[in-house]
Amino acid sequence: MTAPSLARATALAPFRRPRRRRLLRLTRRGLLYGVLVAGGLIMMVPFFWMVITSLKTRAEVFGAAPLSLPSGPHFENYANMWNAFPNDVTFGTFFLNSLKIAILCTAGQLVTSSMAAYAFAVIPFRGRGPLFAILLATLIIPFQVVLVPNFILYRTLPNPFSESGNFIGTQLPLWVGAWFGGAFGTFLLRQFFLAIPQELADAARVDGANPWQIFTRVYVPLARPALATLAIFTFMWTWNDLLNPLIYLNDLDQYTTTVGLAFFQGQHVGKWPEMMAGALLSLLPMVVLFVVAQKYFVRGIALSGLKG
Amino acid sequence: MTVFRRRAAPGPVPRRRGGPVAAEARWAWLFLAPTLIGLAILSAGPILATFGISLTKWDLLRPPDWVGLENYAALVQDKRFLVALRNTGFYTVVSVPLGMALALGLALALNHGIRGIAWIRTAYFLPVVTSATAVGLVWAWIYAPSGGILNQLIGLAGLPPQKWVSDPFWAMPAIIMMSVWQGLGTSVIIFLAGLQAIPQEYYDAASVDGAGRWARFRSVTLPLLTPSLFFTGILALISAFQIFDQVYVLARPGKPTEATVTLVYFIYENGFKNFKMGYAAAASWVLFLIVAVLTLIYFRSQRRWVHYQ
Repeated sequence: MTAPSLARATALAPFRRPRRRRLLRLTRRGLLYGVLVAGGLIMMVPFFWMVITSLKTRAEVFGAAPLSLPSGPHFENYANMWNAFPNDVTFGTFFLNSLKIAILCTAGQLVTSSMAAYAFAVIPFRGRGPLFAILLATLIIPFQVVLVPNFILYRTLPNPFSESGNFIGTQLPLWVGAWFGGAFGTFLLRQFFLAIPQELADAARVDGANPWQIFTRVYVPLARPALATLAIFTFMWTWNDLLNPLIYLNDLDQYTTTVGLAFFQGQHVGKWPEMMAGALLSLLPMVVLFVVAQKYFVRGIALSGLKG
Repeated sequence: MTVFRRRAAPGPVPRRRGGPVAAEARWAWLFLAPTLIGLAILSAGPILATFGISLTKWDLLRPPDWVGLENYAALVQDKRFLVALRNTGFYTVVSVPLGMALALGLALALNHGIRGIAWIRTAYFLPVVTSATAVGLVWAWIYAPSGGILNQLIGLAGLPPQKWVSDPFWAMPAIIMMSVWQGLGTSVIIFLAGLQAIPQEYYDAASVDGAGRWARFRSVTLPLLTPSLFFTGILALISAFQIFDQVYVLARPGKPTEATVTLVYFIYENGFKNFKMGYAAAASWVLFLIVAVLTLIYFRSQRRWVHYQ
């Protein structure tokens, strides 16, 4: 069909068969909706399976079909997982460790990234461009590349308070680094600060404010959505981190939930109900966080991904 | 994407010795102090240090032993390293396009502003928020040779049960499927944001010109979506090369079969289980070079296929 006649057909169509077209559109939309919901349910199946498995007995897990409902809610699986560790260590210990480290990391990133972003966005200084490029280049590098030198650094620095004499075996390597800047956070916040009108800073300057005051009284309050986004992402990444706690921690009572779960998996093969209970427990804070702060997640990814 | 577009930063800097601009510039260094220390000691500096360590043989107990490029020569001949390279390459080449295509399809479907979209979005984003450990456990069960859901499902279709994760042929595809499942959420949201930024006028103009749905997709949606495609692509590429958590959880206990040894697992193994720090550092440096080269090529190609508005 040539273009002119196609255009004429499209233009005339609404007047010709309105009811048929509406039905077609409704069915198409219904189909789409159906596919999406079905897809969403498929995505949720593993979680649904986690929940019902955590409430079954071991016999039921191996005996009955995977998606069958448990005979009765066996909450003792949660208790067993909680207490499955020696020496007064419980799953709650892991939970608290994860929480502590995640909060410390988040605080550190918020403070130092915002400071650096302010410098890059608002204060003109020589070498600002090249320095920012170097910072961004570190984003591209997989952090595993610096894994070995960082480990050696923490091993070489003397620490009189630890068993090993250095920082290996303590939780410090897991969060101290977060207080020394971060490329992702700086990039994100700089984009945000750049969008804040210069006039506000100029007005404050005229009133005699120094850069620190401008930063704390003008920019930080205005950047709350971006700060919230950075906080959520940092918390999530720290909470879910497996590799770093794995290589720096030796003592059971310092483990985070990720390492604790992996440890449990290694020690108790086949105890699926308890393992699923543990996995769900460690998942809970993140789910709550996401449901509550969903719009910040979306906005954060859109902020960094759209136009750059 | 302003990663390498330095001109995106505000204008040139006046170079006067004293005066208010120079005074304020001194403040900048104060604000940057933690970041600069971090750069020097924890990120940029260590990358150079990694190269230095890779030129030694070091087990952390005795002082390092200078061996020059011996580690690199050994790497090239190490079968396990070459297998790790191959596996990581296969994983990247399959999971990145697959993930992006699926995410694009989903985003296009989700873009219709259907009611209840917040719930559907939550469902698709939940896997992203879950730790890799938990995801690995769940999928370990799905893939379990006896009694796992997947084997039960294909049993219904009359196919024989597979060993999946322990099967050298299926192990990597199994991990790919799991990672794609988990990574969909982030890409979908980026694409959604990109799709919603395309002005409706372009679609209307295209319809008036007689373009059908497929033509509209090809000449309006796809070109204007290229910035989001670019960003998602680079994220996917970088994280594909870094895959570790899923392999560690799914492919233990015991050693992973050769089919799932990835580059980062190789580094972890040599550095933290065999304590061959120099060797692990050499492998890290190779990883860094590969990612750097690929990223550079990817960024250069930007000019050819990415359209900024």
